[in-house]
Amino acid sequence: MLFILIAVFSLLLQFFLPWWIIAPVSAVLAALVGGTARNAFFSSFMAIFVMWIGVSLSKSIPNQHLLSGKVAVMLGLPQSPSSWIIVLLATGIIGGLTASVSALAGYYWRAALKKK
Amino acid sequence: MKVFLAVLFTVLGLSLVLLLNMKLGQAPPLGKFLDPFHGFWANAESASPGDKETGLDVPGLTGKVTVVFDDKMIPHIFAGNDHDVYFAQGYITAKDRLWQMDFQTRFASGRLSEVVGNKAVELDRFQRRMGMTYGAEQMIKEVAKYPRLKAVMEAYRDGINAYIHSLKPGDYPIEFKILDYKPEDWQVLNTGLLLKLMSATLAGGSNEFYMSNILAKFGPDITRDLFPDYPGLEDPIIPKGTPWNFKPVSIPQVPKSYSAIATAGIRTKELEEGIGSNNWAISGKKSASGYPILANDPHLDLTLPAIWYQLQLSAPGLNVYGVSIPGSPCVVIGYNKDVAWGVTNVGSDVLDWYQVNFRDTKKDAYFYDNAWKPTRRRIEHIAIRGGKQLDDTVIYTHQGPVVYLDNQKPAFAKAANIPSGHALRWIAHEPSADIWAFYLLNRAKNYDDYRKAITWFAAPAQNFAFASATNDIAITPNGRFPLKWREQGKFLMDGSKPENDWQGWIPTEQNPTVKNPPRGFISSANQSPADQSYPYYLSWEFHSYDRARRINSRLAVMEHATVDSIRALQNDTYSILAENILPVLLKSLEPGRLSGEAKAAYSIMAGWNKQYDAGEKGASIFELWHNTLARMTWDEFLDAEHPMRFPPRERLVRMLRDEPLSPWFDDKNTPAKETSRKIIRKSFAFTIDSLARKLGPIGDKWEWGRVKGSHVPHLAAIPGFGSATLFAGGGKNIVNALSESNGPSWRMIVALGKPNKGYGVFPGGESGNPGSFYYDNMIETWAGGKLNELLFLQSPTETNKRIIKRILLTNH
Repeated sequence: MLFILIAVFSLLLQFFLPWWIIAPVSAVLAALVGGTARNAFFSSFMAIFVMWIGVSLSKSIPNQHLLSGKVAVMLGLPQSPSSWIIVLLATGIIGGLTASVSALAGYYWRAALKKK
Repeated sequence: MKVFLAVLFTVLGLSLVLLLNMKLGQAPPLGKFLDPFHGFWANAESASPGDKETGLDVPGLTGKVTVVFDDKMIPHIFAGNDHDVYFAQGYITAKDRLWQMDFQTRFASGRLSEVVGNKAVELDRFQRRMGMTYGAEQMIKEVAKYPRLKAVMEAYRDGINAYIHSLKPGDYPIEFKILDYKPEDWQVLNTGLLLKLMSATLAGGSNEFYMSNILAKFGPDITRDLFPDYPGLEDPIIPKGTPWNFKPVSIPQVPKSYSAIATAGIRTKELEEGIGSNNWAISGKKSASGYPILANDPHLDLTLPAIWYQLQLSAPGLNVYGVSIPGSPCVVIGYNKDVAWGVTNVGSDVLDWYQVNFRDTKKDAYFYDNAWKPTRRRIEHIAIRGGKQLDDTVIYTHQGPVVYLDNQKPAFAKAANIPSGHALRWIAHEPSADIWAFYLLNRAKNYDDYRKAITWFAAPAQNFAFASATNDIAITPNGRFPLKWREQGKFLMDGSKPENDWQGWIPTEQNPTVKNPPRGFISSANQSPADQSYPYYLSWEFHSYDRARRINSRLAVMEHATVDSIRALQNDTYSILAENILPVLLKSLEPGRLSGEAKAAYSIMAGWNKQYDAGEKGASIFELWHNTLARMTWDEFLDAEHPMRFPPRERLVRMLRDEPLSPWFDDKNTPAKETSRKIIRKSFAFTIDSLARKLGPIGDKWEWGRVKGSHVPHLAAIPGFGSATLFAGGGKNIVNALSESNGPSWRMIVALGKPNKGYGVFPGGESGNPGSFYYDNMIETWAGGKLNELLFLQSPTETNKRIIKRILLTNH
């Protein structure tokens, strides 16, 4: 549930808003439907990881990974036909991590407030 | 506990977002940059060119504009009036090259620190102290006097800005995202700055400081012998014997007081070999078609995005094809249905240094013409990324800016090259309206139009080659040339004497020129514009005659020439230097006493065809051998305290051939008297040793194409964004002037006739986006010495199988 919600809301909002909108989206949704801390963390991570990689691929496949290959070299990776995959994974991880840390923040605020 | 965790993760999350949104050192802001929606992924262009017919709303146009794209994604712009055609040129150029335009303007005007921070401060100071912005401002003031030119430049600016305003951050070119900044509105001044940048590249070098040190060390006789006022080996642009059909104005006499100054501790940027160009045209008598053929290849420091932008511009009274400078309206090199033209650099002396004698430490007055004359001050405000600002005061005399005061010279490579305490007199600071020359050339119909058009061009002076479909060919070394006495500016000058100032200008119509010479061709390769019968002094040294010599000797014997024979000459790799000295060099070696690699190298050299082809090992050996020989011969000129330069190449050639006993060949460290023979053997042994150490035993690695390692780097040297290393022939002072990373930035051939047919290619592509398939798609064709047929359309609706899309620009 959390996975789908974060992925869909982030996808829609990101067309208009900067990348960091994934942080408040993950925080709010994790607060509302977080379940467990573990679920908040992993679902949000996977939601953005999968969504970012999907959107990146939708741009990189028609580009035959020409640009991501060059960016890989720019970032210090060796010039090889598969270096772009590392850039793709880095994209997913950075997005995912931002989402998951934010989701934990949301989850614990909710838990903290409920206690009182 | 929960509250603690909530606070902890909130802080962690916020820090993470801030960190990923921020540029850290060299790296782009990672979150922003990797964001698949607005980060770099958004710059990945599809391999497919997209819809064949599209429309675009462009506010600011007065009518409809059709842009037709061919299979190289070259735009062919069809507009209903002048305003719209230049507006669309600005719009379309920005669409492909916005970052390059922005970055080069910032580089020129000393505004890189705003983007990259402290590390560019000295570079920015340097550009400002050289008066780059000052020069551009002079140009804009001059342009304001000509309403039609001003309108052209403003329409172009408005087109660029219409494009910029249509962008959202996700649409910015990738380099903006890497360096994390935003494009800003274009100004007419930026166009001026880019032309000043051309002057800095092509007319910004000088030898005065070296020459003054040489004069101080060796005296006038040796200086004159080694650095003659006219080369001993020359093949001038205007053929010897061409009459001068004008009455010269009074030529200034060498002042009695003339003595060169020698100041220690300063250095100037040496004129660079390898930045030059070729152009030529043959008359109809020499071609198979009976019409002239014109060729041009300007040599520059190659970069990606490509230096030039190809396009066709069409409006009532205008239909021209060629290359433009991204950031400047009109076509610079190209052709229309009647004429074709091309340019190479003249390299005359238009930059001089004057020693300034200030009254006191306040420096508000300097000694001039036996009186104290007030200085002017210009304050440069350098903004630095992160919010700081540096105010830098530059003192100007009537000659120009005092680039560095004696105590001001920073530890910065470019600045170390400037004579401190000297004022800079430079053509780039003169008011001019150069772009009008191109506006008129783009519309020229005949020889007379060409002659009129080029009078508008001031700097950097160019050899304008011309050919028309009515069978005229012509060439004019052209620009604004200061009227000078002989040798004026060969050495540093005393700034207090009025006779050392520039004495006015050579009347433009008296610039050297020739039309339809009897030999049936015109050509230039940066050599001396004329022989010594030309009444005016332009400079004491031009590029060595090697390329010119080769081109002229080939053109002289050419008959029934076709585009292919001209193309072969553009790709010619024959070395005149080798022709001149290799026989002498080989005769001095004793093959019987050589062994190992040296023996094998000798037989390579003995069998070498003197071609700098990619596969030739002889070229690799010869190149290093000559350089080593020059260094060993001119060792007297290596002095860290009093920097000097070597005599011109042709002087060593003449010495090797005719003066084997010259004292310069003697090694001062031995009691014996050495002749050229000894130094030739020594330099050969050194060359082979050093190549063998670097490349191993003689084998594939010794091939010229591998040793040279030609490539095209990215403009900001971003790794991965440059070209791969190319295996290609050519070199410095070779007609195909491709060295490591400078060389032919555009090769064009136009076969005149009815209709004119153009061919051309440049090392790059139309797009400036590294994520585009049109970023470097022409490099292979270029490196292989081939040309693309240029598509010259008559109307926007013309059908041609090479057309891949049309965009209709309208203002709703």
